[in-house]
Amino acid sequence: MTFLLATAHLKGPHVDFGGLSPLIALLGGAVIVLMFGLIGSQWVRAQLVPALSLGALGAALGLTIWQWGAEKSIVSGALRIDALSLVLNLVLIAGGICAVLLAWRSRAAEEAAHGEFHALLLTSVAGMSLLASAQNTVALFVGLELLSIPLYVLCATEMRREHSLESGLKYLIVGSVGSATLLYGLAMIYGATGTTDFSGIAAKLAAGGVSSDVLTLTGIALCVGGLCFKASIAPFHQWTPDVYEGAPTPVTAFMAVTTKVAAFGAFLRFFDVALIETQSSWAPALAALATITIIVGNVGALGQSSLKRMLAYSSVAQAGYMLAGIVVATKLGAQATVLYLVVYLMMNMAAFATIVARERATGQGDSIASLAGLGREHPLLAWPMTLAMLGLAGIPATAGLIGKIYLIEATVDGGYAWLGVVIVLGSMISLGYYLPVIAAMWMRDASAAGALPRSGGEGPLPALAGGSAELDEQEPRVRGLQLEVVLVAVVAGAATLFFGIVPQPLFELVRHTGSALGLL
Amino acid sequence: MLAFPLAGTLISAFGYRRLPGRSAGWIGTGAIFLAFLAAIATLISLQGHSPDHRQLVSSLWEYASTAGVDAKVSILVDPLSVFMILIVTGVSTLIHLYSISYMEGDEGFCRYFAYLNFFVLSMLLLVLAGNFFLLIVGWALVGAASYLLISFWYRRTTATRAGIKAFVINVVGDVGLVLGTYFIFKHTHTLDLLKTFHATSNGAFGHGRTGDGDLVAGCILLLVGAFAKSAQIPLHTWLPDAMEGPTPVSSLIHAATMVTAGVYLIARMHPLFQLAPSAQDVGAIVGAATLLIAGTIGLAQTDIKRVIAYSTMSQIGYMIMGVSIGAYAAGLFHLMTHAFFKALLFMAAGSIIGAMGGEQSLQRMGGFRRALPFTYGCFVIGGLALSGIPPFSGFFSKDEILLVAGEQGGWHWALYVVGYVGAFLTALYTFRLIFRAFHGEPVAEARELEAGHLHHAEHPTNPATGELEDTDVGFPGPHHTTAERALPMKVAMSVLAVGAVGAGLVQIPKTDFVIDNFLKPTFTDAAAYETHTRNGLLWLGLALGTVVGLAGIALAYRIWVQRPAIAEAARVRFKPVYELFVNKWYFDELIDALVIKPTAAAGRFASDVFERRVIDETIVGGTTGVVRAGSAAVRAVQSGFVRYYAAMLVLGVAGVGFYFLMQS
Repeated sequence: MTFLLATAHLKGPHVDFGGLSPLIALLGGAVIVLMFGLIGSQWVRAQLVPALSLGALGAALGLTIWQWGAEKSIVSGALRIDALSLVLNLVLIAGGICAVLLAWRSRAAEEAAHGEFHALLLTSVAGMSLLASAQNTVALFVGLELLSIPLYVLCATEMRREHSLESGLKYLIVGSVGSATLLYGLAMIYGATGTTDFSGIAAKLAAGGVSSDVLTLTGIALCVGGLCFKASIAPFHQWTPDVYEGAPTPVTAFMAVTTKVAAFGAFLRFFDVALIETQSSWAPALAALATITIIVGNVGALGQSSLKRMLAYSSVAQAGYMLAGIVVATKLGAQATVLYLVVYLMMNMAAFATIVARERATGQGDSIASLAGLGREHPLLAWPMTLAMLGLAGIPATAGLIGKIYLIEATVDGGYAWLGVVIVLGSMISLGYYLPVIAAMWMRDASAAGALPRSGGEGPLPALAGGSAELDEQEPRVRGLQLEVVLVAVVAGAATLFFGIVPQPLFELVRHTGSALGLL
Repeated sequence: MLAFPLAGTLISAFGYRRLPGRSAGWIGTGAIFLAFLAAIATLISLQGHSPDHRQLVSSLWEYASTAGVDAKVSILVDPLSVFMILIVTGVSTLIHLYSISYMEGDEGFCRYFAYLNFFVLSMLLLVLAGNFFLLIVGWALVGAASYLLISFWYRRTTATRAGIKAFVINVVGDVGLVLGTYFIFKHTHTLDLLKTFHATSNGAFGHGRTGDGDLVAGCILLLVGAFAKSAQIPLHTWLPDAMEGPTPVSSLIHAATMVTAGVYLIARMHPLFQLAPSAQDVGAIVGAATLLIAGTIGLAQTDIKRVIAYSTMSQIGYMIMGVSIGAYAAGLFHLMTHAFFKALLFMAAGSIIGAMGGEQSLQRMGGFRRALPFTYGCFVIGGLALSGIPPFSGFFSKDEILLVAGEQGGWHWALYVVGYVGAFLTALYTFRLIFRAFHGEPVAEARELEAGHLHHAEHPTNPATGELEDTDVGFPGPHHTTAERALPMKVAMSVLAVGAVGAGLVQIPKTDFVIDNFLKPTFTDAAAYETHTRNGLLWLGLALGTVVGLAGIALAYRIWVQRPAIAEAARVRFKPVYELFVNKWYFDELIDALVIKPTAAAGRFASDVFERRVIDETIVGGTTGVVRAGSAAVRAVQSGFVRYYAAMLVLGVAGVGFYFLMQS
């Protein structure tokens, strides 16, 4: 009785469950999925678990939309719910949904026991969502780790493929260095300003005295390094091609899109809110990094024969474009970056869905040759891929062009016109590797591809400890098309085309993201 | 309305393997017919508005409004655009119908209808455009559709070459249009047509007929666009060559619709032209020159379609002249009547060509009067309308343009005189055509047809060069037909014949002013948009038109029926003149010498010296070298060893840190 009375008098902190609800849905979903994954039935594991994770993502999506228009800080100022975090949440969840669909019948999910795979995926999405709305350095770091650690594991989920394991290990080691760098940087900034809160840091920097302090500047430099690592900005990008190529393709698709979304969300909030006062010192550095990234990404992608590797370099280049929107630190710049992230989701999902379908159908891995003759054979896959490539290259009537124009406009508006020129030059080089993909699909015969040797990574699988010989039978090649994969490809491709012709909804979507940051 | 042709295009384009037989033709025709019905519905709803509110802009969606440019996908519905869409969809429906028979048996039947529907879509886009942005899009799409259709028989080298020529000259016009738009946009800061006109009348270019330099330059550049599309001198040379396309295409695009786009453009932009008198004068003079020169060339050509093509140029000369001197209603009225009778003439010509088994030369035709009675009747109706004989439609419309010219006095009297000389020439060459093709001794093909058998050449040949061809895809199909034998052709021609006879009746001087009144809301601000006042001139014009037309016919009768020797004698006697006419006033050669040769020489120089040495070796070679080396370098760094990656990361951070520390 006294205990009850005591608790009645104890006033707990106010918890805004509304604001937290998408996160709760995701993490709760992860727990439920993990539980169901323990049930022995094959049907439950292979079908119900992905369906449940879709449900969790769908709930999170609905809750995000329910929060639409909100402007509030929750968890005693650690997280911010505003237009920016809500739009990024939408993109993250959309990316997650695509990834679940692509992984539905993948070998990766099967080998990692479906429950774990999907639980990790959901946890990672939750981490990204946390990162995108983080408003103090502690939440920022927690979000970063919450997204990274599940990803390290997800990369290695095809446990019997050497490349997958290698990819996971590499990501883990290099990623730890990156995280350590960021943490060190955050610590230094805390040391210089005495606060972890973004607006507190901004106020301290505005007050003067500390903004040219060695401690602050070193901290900013280390933070730049750490965040650039997550966004795969050159020269911190080197893990990208290896990890993207080695990871199971659905995981690559997930990682390529959502990690960038989360990293750029953090970038926007941290640099355009907390460090806005020191913009004059970090903007030139980021502009230089963007230039290097655009060059390295585009040049590196030339001459790659693996589609995933090519897309990895392409994603490096795209990250360079998006960084340009952060450099200018204006409302327009923030909007352009967010818009490009949305567009980037569509284009990459269309491309990766096609790769997933081809990998399963041909067993040839992801070489460009495996696309030969696709235009004739499966136009439903070839068109989305074509649109994705055209969009990534920024050809008119695709959403890619709209994204690029917006970014270039932002750079010109923000006084970095030369960066706009670099973007255009980069897009020019990028045609050199996007167009061959289209040519392979429409101009080459499928028969030529059939004669090609299978890529090295697809040899007979080593036995898994405790596995039986029957289990080790090669997964049969998939004949025909898998509905959910085609669905992702078609929807993403159609969106790329549609928003290229009617871009107004996109403009509406991102309209308030810039003002959410309080930028001019 | 735009949706119907679009659907037709897509169905024909993507279903070409599945559509059996002639269904693509019926789908295409049906699509355009539905568009025509939609146009009529638009007309009715437009008439429901009071005259002051008949300019409706509806925005489908906003494409992008950024950097001060308001690029919306908006259409403008006003009397002028409704007038145009009625003509476009109406004539197009008939020509689609005609084509079903005419193109029967061609291997590219579906492709043909896909292109044709695409053309109608582009043309509707052009005339409905509510801003410069969409206007330019439509303008360019129409040029592209024209290119596709001229080169439809793509294995004929003459056809592909003609297509390229048409496309290149049209691009010159596109450039003119785009540059002209820039000049105007610079002052008005809007792409929307109505807002542009509003800004103009509010003094964006200064008040009154200022002749502001930028405005005049803009208008003249718009005129360049109009001239290229409407085949006016000196950008006309593509039109006769465009006759390489299938005959219904010539009928639709190169007579009734696309070539009148220039006329439409000037009429649409009249608030701008009103303020730029010198641009108007340029238009009027070029129109007059074209009508005269094209008339003389038409006298000497021997290819039946080319004669009609020159006649088209000449008639469009009238229209351009009309809308340039402010006779908007008259010019557009002539546009309408011309669409009827010229489409009819082309269809009749197509029927004769069918009877000749693909042969187009007038030299080899003759005496088809009895073999093709229906075609003959249609041709005569079209010819009388073209020559301006009352009460056929061409009579009223042509005389109205000249009447306005005469009323304005001043140097416009010269235009008046040129117009009547042109009318005389028109009657002369038209009836030369009729008498040579239908009268005289029947040729072998005509006799064969009278005996009930349609001539088919043993080996199909290219009518222009005589090269042997087969009938596979890329060449005309094996099947020929005449209007007498194909119901769809007959129906289409009958309807047009009725139009050619009766269309003039909607606007008889002093009795009714249907067109005038209908178009009035568009042209309320046009100074010269007034009905005529001087009765004497009116009667003089009507009488003169009749007399001149009849005189032309009489002369033609005398030369080509009664005394064929006269033609020969005249040819010998006036050899230089004849040579001039046969060689089309040497315009091709002139353009060749003035533009093509120097450009080609410059091009050769550029490719031999500049391109190879500077671009290929230095710039491109250098750039690709750098890119390739960079690619190699990136891959070299990408060793695959984690320790190197971590090292790079630390190095990168060190670099960034160094930069930041330099700032402190």
